[in-house]
Amino acid sequence: MKKSHTFYIGVFVSLAYSGVASALSFETLPEPPTNLVVIDTPDDAGNSVELDWALSGTDIFNPLNENASDTDPSAIVSTYSIERKISDANGSELDEADSNWQKVSEAGAGESHWTDRTVERGWTYDYRICSVGNQGDSSIWCDAEPVTPVMQMFNMSKVWLAIFMLIFGGFIAYYINYARSGKPLWVRKIAGLEAIDEAVGRATEMGRPVLFVIGIQDINEIQTLAGLTVLSRVAKTAAEYGAQIEVPTCRSLVMAAARETVEAAYLAAGAPDAYQPDRIHYLTDEQFAFVAGVTGYMVREEPAACIYMGGFYAESLILAETGNHIGAIQVAGTAMPSQLPFFVASCDYTLIGEEFFAASAYLSGDPLQIGSLKGQDYGKFFSVLILVAGIFIASIISLSHSEEGLAVDSLNYIKNNMLGSEGLGSFGGGDTDIEGDDS
Amino acid sequence: MTIDLENINVILATDCGSTTTKAILIEKIDGQYRQTYRGEAPTTVEKPFANVTIGVTNAVTEVGELAGRKLTNEDGTINQPAQGDDGCDLYISTSSAGGGLQMMVAGVIAEMTAASAKRAALGAGAIVMDVISTNDKRRPHEQIQRIRELRPDMILISGGTDGGTTEKVVQLAELIAPAKPQPRFGSEYEMPIIFAGNKMAASEVELALQEDWIDLAIVENLRPKLEQENLGPARDKIHDVFLEHVMAHAPGYDMLMDWADAPIMPTPGAVGDILQTIAKKENINVVGVDIGGATTDVFSVFEGTFNRTVSANLGMSYSISNVCAEATMPNVLRWVHFDMDERQLRNRVKNKMIRPTTIPQSLESLIFEQAVAREALRLAYIQHKEFATTLKGVQQQRTVGDTFSQQTGGNTIVNNMTLNLLVASGGVLSHAPNMNQTAMMLVDSFEPEGCTDLAKDSIFMMPHLGVLSAVHPEAASQVFERDCLVYLGTCIAAKGLGKEGKLCFNWTLSGDVNASGTCNFGDLELIDMTPDQTATILCDPVRGFDLGAGNGKKVSHEVRGGTVGLIIDGRGRPLGLPEDRQQCQMSMKTWVENMALYEEIDVAVATA
Amino acid sequence: MAHAYTPGLKVTNRMKHSAVRMLPIKGDVMVKVGDSVVADQIVAATYMPGDVYPLNMANLLAVPPKDVLSLMMYKEGHKVEKGEPIAETPGIFGKFKKKYNSPYVGTIETVSDVTGQVILRGPDIPVEVKAYITGTVTDVNPEIGCTVESDVAFIQGIFGIGGETCGTIKFAVESSDETLTASSITSDMKGCVVIGGARITDDSIEEARKVGAVALIGGGMDDQDLKEFLGYDLGVAITGSEKKGITVIVTEGFGDIAMANRTFNLLKRFEGHEASVNGATQIRAGVMRPEIIIPIESGDSEVEKEHEGGYLEIGKSLRIIRDPYFGIIGTVKALPSEPHVLGSGSKARVLEVELKTGESVIVPRANVELIEE
Repeated sequence: MKKSHTFYIGVFVSLAYSGVASALSFETLPEPPTNLVVIDTPDDAGNSVELDWALSGTDIFNPLNENASDTDPSAIVSTYSIERKISDANGSELDEADSNWQKVSEAGAGESHWTDRTVERGWTYDYRICSVGNQGDSSIWCDAEPVTPVMQMFNMSKVWLAIFMLIFGGFIAYYINYARSGKPLWVRKIAGLEAIDEAVGRATEMGRPVLFVIGIQDINEIQTLAGLTVLSRVAKTAAEYGAQIEVPTCRSLVMAAARETVEAAYLAAGAPDAYQPDRIHYLTDEQFAFVAGVTGYMVREEPAACIYMGGFYAESLILAETGNHIGAIQVAGTAMPSQLPFFVASCDYTLIGEEFFAASAYLSGDPLQIGSLKGQDYGKFFSVLILVAGIFIASIISLSHSEEGLAVDSLNYIKNNMLGSEGLGSFGGGDTDIEGDDS
Repeated sequence: MTIDLENINVILATDCGSTTTKAILIEKIDGQYRQTYRGEAPTTVEKPFANVTIGVTNAVTEVGELAGRKLTNEDGTINQPAQGDDGCDLYISTSSAGGGLQMMVAGVIAEMTAASAKRAALGAGAIVMDVISTNDKRRPHEQIQRIRELRPDMILISGGTDGGTTEKVVQLAELIAPAKPQPRFGSEYEMPIIFAGNKMAASEVELALQEDWIDLAIVENLRPKLEQENLGPARDKIHDVFLEHVMAHAPGYDMLMDWADAPIMPTPGAVGDILQTIAKKENINVVGVDIGGATTDVFSVFEGTFNRTVSANLGMSYSISNVCAEATMPNVLRWVHFDMDERQLRNRVKNKMIRPTTIPQSLESLIFEQAVAREALRLAYIQHKEFATTLKGVQQQRTVGDTFSQQTGGNTIVNNMTLNLLVASGGVLSHAPNMNQTAMMLVDSFEPEGCTDLAKDSIFMMPHLGVLSAVHPEAASQVFERDCLVYLGTCIAAKGLGKEGKLCFNWTLSGDVNASGTCNFGDLELIDMTPDQTATILCDPVRGFDLGAGNGKKVSHEVRGGTVGLIIDGRGRPLGLPEDRQQCQMSMKTWVENMALYEEIDVAVATA
Repeated sequence: MAHAYTPGLKVTNRMKHSAVRMLPIKGDVMVKVGDSVVADQIVAATYMPGDVYPLNMANLLAVPPKDVLSLMMYKEGHKVEKGEPIAETPGIFGKFKKKYNSPYVGTIETVSDVTGQVILRGPDIPVEVKAYITGTVTDVNPEIGCTVESDVAFIQGIFGIGGETCGTIKFAVESSDETLTASSITSDMKGCVVIGGARITDDSIEEARKVGAVALIGGGMDDQDLKEFLGYDLGVAITGSEKKGITVIVTEGFGDIAMANRTFNLLKRFEGHEASVNGATQIRAGVMRPEIIIPIESGDSEVEKEHEGGYLEIGKSLRIIRDPYFGIIGTVKALPSEPHVLGSGSKARVLEVELKTGESVIVPRANVELIEE
């Protein structure tokens, strides 16, 4: 309301002045800018003020100035001069100069906006603006309502972000609590994980080892860590079934971590005596030397099951093809998008991208992990819903060629408010009257 | 034993079941073998008789009385060979009495070689008491304890592919040796152990099982590769051992074996043989069911793969109480279209359990018994589907197209849509007074999809014919074609779910019978077609329903008539009955009327 | 002529019965051949190893497994009480010690420094085998058990719940067709084998249990009552191991059905005698029936003639054992040989039964059993 109020006053004032100016136009003074609107910058800490004005009629950059080329050269606006005075310092001591009009800034021709960042929170300011011709002549002043910058507790432009955060957080918190209360949470069966029992079983029946490769990345990579979680499960199954597990690594630290993981898994399975640390060994840091080593092992020993879990590069297809050739059941999991097609084509089962990380939560059985997995899923589902709704509305608009109506408003709302920075705003956008939409 | 097949005119066959011993007579009439008379008597394996031959003699005497033929001698033995109008030329028998053949099986991995071993044992007609494997989550001492508690007639050990693990297989053998299981038939009984595992491990297993109470037999590996199952040799060996050891120790069986001209087979094994023969000959998928007093056997042949399961505690007499407990009373009662007093029903169920030979006298008790049968069959079929799976531990071949539809191994191979023939046998199914009842029990519990022929084994002759096919294949196939299967008709059922009363599919029938109509969801219709009529049915389902060609696709099937006719089932699959008791009764009532199941519902009490 | 179905239940006033008494594991047999024993005398006893409780001490104390051994306050083999501290962390400078109290009574069996697991074994469970019937020991199997033999009157029931017990026979009803209700149960029936007539009601079972009767025998009971008594729906009929504090045996079947006169009279004759009762039932191959065994003195009663299952003949007494006439007693009036169409629509061989009321009904031959009046 305040904004529109200022608007009317502004119009009135500018009309009055322009009337006076034209009456006294002996010399051609630049026409004054009109419509000065000063507002406190929304959603800030109260230390800036926004000024907007309508360009002067003799500003050649003014798009409304239709005959800009015919403008009297002496009246052409070169700059706008902005002055300020403090009308209320909120009880603070004030310089004499500050309580009088003082020039605070100058804007170039064609500019219609300036932000004053030198204001104090809680003080009241008056602003005025005039245009200055290229001869140095000033037009008459255009005034505005006084303004008091204040601090907002909330950045309302991010309200939707907050809502989304709450929804997502809510889902996660709810499902973690749900999982903690001991109720079972259904997690889709991941075929690749189910297949681990089968792969290890095959190795046991055939009396051959299980080969596990944790990728070629170092221990600090998230994929390697996820690979270790899966290794723990594989090792536990191997211990229960009495199968032999072979883990060649490409990094020394990974070897140390893998040994601990496997040892713990054997302990948990109640077969600490069957654990053989020598089977988990470091080969080389060199990518292709490592691949040569592993494929050589595969061809010689013919493991019945090959499991690849971690970050892989060019070696993915070499390993998987060799594994396929020796007739092993192969399970792969990686978040490397470029290597996934190779694994999918040559392995029996593949954990794809996110699935690979989800597997770790699934395997641990920890309520915190499973709960947040479930919560995230619902969050993602919710996002997809909005996405689908947006696509649906946009399709309707482009098919119906309509420029207004409910669909356009909804789309704008999603674009500007929910995904943009206009905060909650009002449906239908800006100052448009909602009821008008019904027509 | 040489039998002159040419001169065989009269064949007598008996099947000693756990409650009744059934005898049939097959005679050569005008050069064709036909089944002519049958008789039955209670089985007499248990005390106070403790001699199976008494029941056999009783059953055979009954056949003899009916046929006017003296089949038994004064001392109770079978009168052989035929002389004039007396006696018979060939006598054969199967047996499942005395608990049948009870086995324990062992394998390395429960889902792989142990599962194959279980399949071999079940296929041979055994009851599998327990499966021991390295990954059954039991510690060795618990496994030994378990083996000790069980009193198996026979043990089957498998494990390892050929050239695979030796260590694990020998470990299994080392569990069994110290456990020294006590056989049911006394301490002088030599425990037969069959080894059908890794051939490289055979000598070591032999070493581990060198005990004087063990009779070890080594046969080919039943899982030479994980991709391949070779159950035949193990199955045959089980049959041999069954005769040599188990039969010889059961009360009266030594006598029965003397009488019989062919080896006595376990009943389910014989049924499996005959079903496999049909499936192979006709190139079809078959499911057979035999619902007995204590157990329900389900047999299936899908794409040439034979599977059998025994649901040990689902049956219509000894186990009837367990069916009601497992399925729960409300589930049983949903098949009954009128109110029944639950308190009374419970007593009836228990009384049937303790007096298993009684038969329903009133219509009301027949309807209830058939409701129980539906649940027993349904539960047994669920167990069968879980067991009849593809092999586990097999390498999968993939293309990039499979990215998001990765299937694990070990899925069920039972597919109701591709099922061609459903064969029913067992008292409650084959003795139902009205064949429509048999057909509906099959449809309600097995839920066939698409086009499925329904048949019943007229008088449970399949076990007899299974044995006969080994001795006299010609006679067996002639009797099977003419007298064994009674075609009930065909069931056309749509897969999918919809709203009650909405269109499900349109159909047009052309051939010996011409008709057309629409089937709405929830409809059940019966179209008369006699056994000698065949026709083509063209079905045009709406979206969401599948009749064999895919969702919403037109399809035509060849259908045959039968004693019941053509059943058009629009109740959807999976079959769900209304939750509400009243509504459920209403639906059931409509279906019962449409199918002409029970003629006079008012005759609840028999009149003299 | 045809065999009539009889469930093969034995009811006899004199026979030799031997009971094999065995320990589940090896132990001591306390009697020798020729000893006279009474029913509740212990003839063999042993101790079964107690239950095992694994405690993951490493996790419980949050220490590495290899430290667990040094933190245990007792060595292996030490007996601990419930609530007694068994392990303690060193803490920081002797403060902030964390103690772990034993959750069970038992013996520390093993302490593993690999897994950090402590195995606690509960106290030994004494296993005692009683003589079950009063009689003479005829055979002893060292360390395993013995055989007790005696002259007894023997009654098999058709279905029972609960295990072996013994007590004095006491009647709660006047006649065999009287329903047993809670009001007939009196407090002087403590320790007795209580005999009812026809149906046993659930409140009578409850009352009998309250007054401390050891067993309840009746003609029949409702399955609904059985379900309420057991707390679950009995599926597979293998019973005997229920721990309900009372053994219940029905002699005829489920529902309101009178106890057979022969059984009732036999029990009546031995009112006041000691009886050994076992409700264990197994209805399947290897059938087991509940039993009532009454040891008798020589000359108490004559050995009966062994009677055959018998054939259906006109004039014989029988009982109908299937609804709609369940439990009704009558005599064979006619035996038509032609199969007859029943109300259910099926065909079966039937017989005509003359009921006590003079009415006659047709029932399938499979649905009757011969009885002796």
